[in-house]
Amino acid sequence: MNGKEKITENTSTHEHISSYAEHFGTWVALILLTLMTVFISTFGADLRTLTVATALLIATVKALAVALYFMHLKYDAKIYRAWMIIVMALFVFFLFMVTLDYITR
Amino acid sequence: MADSHTFVLPNSGHNFDAKASKMGMWLFLFTELLLFGGLFLVYIIYRYLNQDAFLLASFELNVWMGTINTIVLLTSSMTIAMAITALQKGNAKLAITLSWLTILAALSFLVIKYFEWSSKFEHGLFPGMDHFDGLPLGERLYFYLYFFMTGLHALHVIVGGVFIAVVIRLIKKEKVTKERYSLLENSGLYWHLVDLIWIYLFPLFYLIH
Repeated sequence: MNGKEKITENTSTHEHISSYAEHFGTWVALILLTLMTVFISTFGADLRTLTVATALLIATVKALAVALYFMHLKYDAKIYRAWMIIVMALFVFFLFMVTLDYITR
Repeated sequence: MADSHTFVLPNSGHNFDAKASKMGMWLFLFTELLLFGGLFLVYIIYRYLNQDAFLLASFELNVWMGTINTIVLLTSSMTIAMAITALQKGNAKLAITLSWLTILAALSFLVIKYFEWSSKFEHGLFPGMDHFDGLPLGERLYFYLYFFMTGLHALHVIVGGVFIAVVIRLIKKEKVTKERYSLLENSGLYWHLVDLIWIYLFPLFYLIH
């Protein structure tokens, strides 16, 4: 079966099929992270600046889970991951540079 | 010329290319990222300049409604991902059911959003209303961004829902099948993008504490 997949790799649209269990597992992780971020922000109100960073960190972990498993990036051809990394790096760089420019005036 | 490579006329209905269409979808998603990216940039700067006002204004939002909506969207992301699995395994019926569940979640999300926005309107918290116009600049900026970004996001929820509804119709007509599931996959990718944007909107607007 493994050999057959290799042969048809370039000609067929059939590639890796994610299992229902994997999608469900991803969902459970996403829900737990959501409850965690709500809990931290609602009950950890003393750590004000820390909570912003924590909330964004958790959001990024969630975004990665969605991109890798639900959007299938983990199993797709390398080019999609390469695109994603380049685009996100540029995107974060632009946000960072413009913000830096603005707040140092 | 026609020896080894078969040439097909464009738009003849035989030039199906799953990889190209998926790449096209990803490129489109990157432009969507830039669309929202500009707004996130405005958010970062104004929040930095009006930290206390943003904190104060964020207390007007209902964290629990936001949390429920986050869970609704995450669940819908799972159902559309499972719909793709179902179609790939040849179970078109299950794929249709799961796609309908996704649309149902999209509608629930919009209904909750409707109640959230209505309660803001009742408190006079919409640009142009007397109470809103009397607020300090920082709080007004927070609500301008809140309405614009969640509004633009809700528009994407509607578009995503319609996209999936069209795909359901095509699965029924057997135009989208086990061998040819690109369109379902692309509608799924679009739907996940809607989810991704909400993943950031939620902490940025609801969880400032």
